[in-house]
Amino acid sequence: MDKEFITIRQKETAVKVQNTRINAVRTKDIVKKGVRVYKDGKIGISGAVGDLPDDVLIENAVKNLSTNIEYPYKLSGDRKDHRCYNENPMTGEDLLKYSEDILAVLRRDYPEFDFSESISTTEVQWNMKNTAGLDLEYRDAIIYLGLILKEKKSANLFDGFLMYFGRSLDMDKFWAFNRDYLAAYNNSVPLPEGDVLPVFTFQFNELLGFLANCLNGERYAVGSSIFSGKLNEQLFNDKIVLKQNMDPIYTAEPFFDMEGTVLENDSYTLIDKGRLTGVFTDKRSADMYNLPHTGAASGGYDDMPMLQGAPLRFDVDSEDIKKALGGRPALLVAVSSGGDFTADGSFAAPVQVGFLFDGERIIGKVPEFTMSSHLNKMLGEDYIGTFENKHLYLGEGLTLQGFNMKITK
Amino acid sequence: MYRFPEGLYVDVRIEETYETKISFKKTALQQQKVRSNKGAFIRVFDGDRWYYSSITDISRVQESIDILAGMARPNPDINNHPIVKEFEVNTGTVLNFSERSVTDIPVEEKQALLEGYLHLLDRPEVVHHTSYYVDNKTIKSIYSSKGTAVTFDKQTCGIRLSLDMACGDKKDKGTVSKAAIYFDELKNLCGFFSEQVEKNIQFVREAEPVEPGIYPVLMGPEATGVFTHESFGHKSESDFMVGDETMKAEWALGKTIGQDLLTIIDDGTVSGNGYTPFDDEGTRGKKTYIIKNGKLTGRLHSTATSAALEEPLTGNARAVSFEFEPIVRMTTTYIEKGDRPLKDIIAEMDKGIFIDTVKHGSGMSTFTIAPARAYKIENGKITKPVKVSVVTGNVFETLAEVDAVSEEFELLSFVGGGCGKMEQFPLPVGFGGPYTRVKRLSVQ
Repeated sequence: MDKEFITIRQKETAVKVQNTRINAVRTKDIVKKGVRVYKDGKIGISGAVGDLPDDVLIENAVKNLSTNIEYPYKLSGDRKDHRCYNENPMTGEDLLKYSEDILAVLRRDYPEFDFSESISTTEVQWNMKNTAGLDLEYRDAIIYLGLILKEKKSANLFDGFLMYFGRSLDMDKFWAFNRDYLAAYNNSVPLPEGDVLPVFTFQFNELLGFLANCLNGERYAVGSSIFSGKLNEQLFNDKIVLKQNMDPIYTAEPFFDMEGTVLENDSYTLIDKGRLTGVFTDKRSADMYNLPHTGAASGGYDDMPMLQGAPLRFDVDSEDIKKALGGRPALLVAVSSGGDFTADGSFAAPVQVGFLFDGERIIGKVPEFTMSSHLNKMLGEDYIGTFENKHLYLGEGLTLQGFNMKITK
Repeated sequence: MYRFPEGLYVDVRIEETYETKISFKKTALQQQKVRSNKGAFIRVFDGDRWYYSSITDISRVQESIDILAGMARPNPDINNHPIVKEFEVNTGTVLNFSERSVTDIPVEEKQALLEGYLHLLDRPEVVHHTSYYVDNKTIKSIYSSKGTAVTFDKQTCGIRLSLDMACGDKKDKGTVSKAAIYFDELKNLCGFFSEQVEKNIQFVREAEPVEPGIYPVLMGPEATGVFTHESFGHKSESDFMVGDETMKAEWALGKTIGQDLLTIIDDGTVSGNGYTPFDDEGTRGKKTYIIKNGKLTGRLHSTATSAALEEPLTGNARAVSFEFEPIVRMTTTYIEKGDRPLKDIIAEMDKGIFIDTVKHGSGMSTFTIAPARAYKIENGKITKPVKVSVVTGNVFETLAEVDAVSEEFELLSFVGGGCGKMEQFPLPVGFGGPYTRVKRLSVQ
């Protein structure tokens, strides 16, 4: 009988902020353990929050074998890969000091705003080991600054965010960007003329979520994806490269999937120069539908590994936003909440907070608007490009992506 | 039970959860998991700052209290602090689910129940499906240095059928679900599930893109629930209002913001996902009229916001799990039912959109609803299905545009998912209401 162990340790210090002052400090010390046993082509699982002894978890997993859930796949094994992505985590004491400093500046220089929510430092350690020789470790430490911004003159719940996500915080860069950003809030400008305008985003969750549905290997194989049957077809603009990207630099998640698969260069190309070259799979779906295995099993620490979503990322394909704009004014989406795609790819979303953007600098705040398009246009004739984020100090590994979109005031 | 240090307010919340998750992909069992976990959240307050700790080793609660107390500055007058004075002191045990507990049902019986519904999905249009049975029973105990010592339980269970559908080139996903409190309530639902599956298939087969524009929109109970939650529920969470004079003026109690027919309630005592006999500070759950006959009459509070705004406690301090501090959240939030038959409301609409079910919603200055199933209303009748990306409205204007609420009324809970507020997601909440008409909303 093979055994597999997943252990997640999380230590966090979070500063909770209300009315631009620290009102609480939270610490977390959480251990979660999952155990899987494999016998005669079957799998049994168990898990617990807390540091329970392995033998108790093994016993529960063996009992779970009676569910007769088939798992006739070769275990990932014979690989030791230990990685640490941040050897110098910010300490709780430093976090408190940085937070006090940031909030003091915000209170002094920006009394027209109110800031709340949290700034945190989180250390995580994931271990996945099994009796087939797998020994994977992912360690990381992430600073997350997420402050809700509220204009004091506004009756909205909130009017935007200050955010940063990364492994170290450069205060000079933080203030250089955020002083411009906050100044833009005080500079209301009208929407540029035109029904179709260049729109840039740095976190297009609706698009990535929709593509994840379309590129799910199971959905592709059974025919419910709008991409079904289109493997090797040119779907999009020939600049576009989209990968299942497991690199923790971007995801702050383990470099391995929940079946212990490690990809070469931590990525697998799904769309290459606009052509559909693959769909993401776990071991089960790859076997069942005769598709290449891409190591996309997900699930909780004590779940059965299964295919759900996958971390997708567009490669940078363009260099200079300002040049790409050719003098046209663009819009930068800061907050867009609640939009969606219809099943056939039509897209609409309100933009609650947006800025006029020249490709490098945020110039002023525009009124709320709605953007709309269709997947085929956004990633086709209306695709501007995916750019390295050189000017907006919002976090590590973020890109800026531009599309020409229909704008409704 | 615990040694509470002098000069500090302290409370301890211990959560014991029991969860079952069973899933099938098509007819193959994918997972059968029973999980029992325990964790604790400890809070210490010195009158100036809160200190929180979340731990999974319950034997370290006292140690955590002492560590947090070491970070705090004892305050001899702590009991006269406005927040500390505001805390309710409750004692007792409210265990409503000791009998008919989901923990007493063998997991094989739960699996068999789910498996018994799978044949309903054996349709050519349903090219793939993933089905879930889930249940959760949580027992919470809260102890405070003011003397609160309460233990209470809550329980939910449900079935969710997620469908991948294809009718030729027309493809979509759909979800059919039923939430309940007791396991027995999930039996004998073939009729319900069949009808919902059929509606989903019909929608995929027949839905056409909507012509974007401004429409009168009629919302079913599910959509009304999401609308209420997103368009106004979040605005009633008073942590957004503390220290904010503009918000206080905009949402002043007594202000008229809707027609007489509009009454919105948040009620922690209602069964379902939002059931909160005590909140996570030990405050007893309450029924709060947020809007009564069109006038703003109340807000949702934690102890801290209640003290800050000098308004009564409402029992709305909730945490998504033992890993988080309680913040102001809704429980079961709904529009009170009206006195008009649904058929009369539809009959007077020449043109409009009916939103039956919803994928998700959001609420800022512009609230959104992303419909799952929506239909045209033409000449007083619900007619063809239409594909809609998003329905939006302005929070400050839309409540005044509610011009009809039906006598038909239903409260609901989602199976899986829930409400998100910053880092705390998903919090189970109840929602629903009557069929509700809004005169003008943007439909895209």
